Amino acid sequence: MEGNGGNGGRVYVGNLDKSAKKAKQLVMGKLRIGKAVDWATAFSLWPVHLTTSCCGCEFAATWSPRFDAEQHGALPWVGARQTNMILIEGTVTKKMACAVRVTWEQMPSPKFAIAMGACAIDGGIFYNSYNIVRPWEIIPVDVYIPGCPPRPEAVARAIIELQRKIRKQRVVSKWIEEGWRPDKEYVKPKEDPCSWWRG
Amino acid sequence: MDLAQARKIVEEALSGIEARVEEGRGFIEFIVSKENLVEAASRLKKAGFDHVKSLTVVDYKAEGKFKIVYYVSSYLNEDLAGVIVGIGTEVPRDNPKMPTLVYVWRSAEFQEREVFEFFGIDFEDHPDLRLLLLTPQVAEKRPLRKDFIVKEEPIIRTTPPTG
Ligand code: SF4
Repeated sequence: MEGNGGNGGRVYVGNLDKSAKKAKQLVMGKLRIGKAVDWATAFSLWPVHLTTSCCGCEFAATWSPRFDAEQHGALPWVGARQTNMILIEGTVTKKMACAVRVTWEQMPSPKFAIAMGACAIDGGIFYNSYNIVRPWEIIPVDVYIPGCPPRPEAVARAIIELQRKIRKQRVVSKWIEEGWRPDKEYVKPKEDPCSWWRG
Repeated sequence: MDLAQARKIVEEALSGIEARVEEGRGFIEFIVSKENLVEAASRLKKAGFDHVKSLTVVDYKAEGKFKIVYYVSSYLNEDLAGVIVGIGTEVPRDNPKMPTLVYVWRSAEFQEREVFEFFGIDFEDHPDLRLLLLTPQVAEKRPLRKDFIVKEEPIIRTTPPTG
């Protein structure tokens, strides 16, 4: 049920679920908030501090004053619950895979992943190691950065690439409208990465 | 102090304990029997070697033994600080058990845990012999032993390049 709130505003009453859906459609569609949401998210991609391997040094350099990735609106943050991006730095060992997955599950959506380094693409120099997993087996990766290790400029480029993707494909606003991410499959690890820990 | 002097000091400290001496470039190793290891280690500690720098294991598959060497040096004794001395032992490959040196050098604790998971060598009386870096499934395979084969992809071109 829709009531008129005067001055052009609206008040929805009645079934809460239905009203919420209608309000969402109005806000995201007619009022074009979606565009603003995409824009705002693109410029506040906060990666979580989770350093899996040696590429972490380049990750640190990327946010140092010389390369200053903060100019793109990205700021590494400590708590997984206050971040919306995960930057996998290189190799993920079997034990670290658990930490990556747990961190990913703790992050609020909409969230994104960048995989950095040859190791994160297909194992790199550890391609035949007994103790690694591929990051794309654990979480859905948006952008890959090749290199061993990639230069900080490449990392900054990946952030810009992700911003472009979010704004061009309207990833975030669609995500909010649909309630799930339409352009990327939800990755569920084939085997539980934390099985060694849960016992 | 150079190695020859260090060797003299160690030999004096180990007097009465049978030891095989192996000299390398820049270091020297004393291999004693498993039973004498703790005694030899505590004597070295009394002589001034106060920490373990590293712990290495070599898997001699053909001879059926592991060689375990603790490389020790000193922080407090400035003369000894310049040299690295190894004290080690050999254990059979099919029943790798040896006494721990944690109670002599505390800094050996984590390195012994690492050796335990990668080689499956059992340190008796170790206070906390849990896995350190590997998951149980991987550690079961004892990945640094010589009979654990890591598969390699062929990267050599077998057909001649065309054009
Ligand atoms: S890609 Fe290279 S630098 Fe990065 S984690 Fe792998 S080995 Fe290390």
